[in-house]
Amino acid sequence: MCNNNIQNTFVCYHGPFDIDVVSFFSNYLRQHIRANVVITGRLYKVLIELTQNVSYYSVEQFKKDRTYGSGIGYVRVVEDQDSYSITTGNKILSEHGPTLQKNTSEINSMSEMNLRELKRKTRSQANIRDIGAHIGLIQTGLLTGNNLEFSIEPINNEFSFFTITARINKN
Amino acid sequence: MKSLVIETMPDSPYYPQVNFDAESGICEMKGESYMEEAYKFYTPLLNWLKEYFLEGKNPLVFNIKLTYFNTNSSRLLLDMFDILKKSMDNGKAVQINWYYLEDDPDIKDEIEDFEIETGLKIKMFPMD
Repeated sequence: MCNNNIQNTFVCYHGPFDIDVVSFFSNYLRQHIRANVVITGRLYKVLIELTQNVSYYSVEQFKKDRTYGSGIGYVRVVEDQDSYSITTGNKILSEHGPTLQKNTSEINSMSEMNLRELKRKTRSQANIRDIGAHIGLIQTGLLTGNNLEFSIEPINNEFSFFTITARINKN
Repeated sequence: MKSLVIETMPDSPYYPQVNFDAESGICEMKGESYMEEAYKFYTPLLNWLKEYFLEGKNPLVFNIKLTYFNTNSSRLLLDMFDILKKSMDNGKAVQINWYYLEDDPDIKDEIEDFEIETGLKIKMFPMD
């Protein structure tokens, strides 16, 4: 995670992702990264979607009050020669792994038009009281135009660690 | 009925500014929208629109100046558009204007997706 020395790391954070943490890092990135306005905008949007997924779906929760908590995980933003990458990781229930793998692989296999159609269909079926609209990864795929790189590593019988990387090309 | 006004605060930029004017029927959302538990923020807005179509006297003009909204907020925006569409189908006068940033290459697809989903026509204008 953040104690691994990866060169050109722009942001790395491990902890709870409440809305103020999400807002701080996304606005820090928007203000300080040296990229053009289109790439900066996409990095901003993807960072919010991926970190809010950690906040909503991580099984490790930091309880602020009695009503709801903030998911714990990590985010790392790295600048490579040709792209920027945003990686998030969080603990999941192992039983959710196969569905997550199927959904992410499906996103990677789809054309832009098919992704937009899937986004519309999934969004319209989501309940407004759900914590998310279930289209964060679809939107990330649309914004990056690249395959989502992901892994699910078993921790024990009950839990696994889900890592996902979204890559945004510089050109 | 009363107007609905929500001001933005510098320490919570994830809430948009809202100004729904009950007298003129001009409604505006401005800023960014990526709060937690979005339905809690949007439910009063949805209820206000439903009430306006029962009691309001003027055509409703909905001006959207959101420079960013997350996917969860987009689900709630869809519900707002559904209310507008149903009211139009029932004979109410509604105009939707979306003011977008010209350097956002993704926003036109977003708006087009809302149009496809709802059957609404959304007028698009570059933001000053």
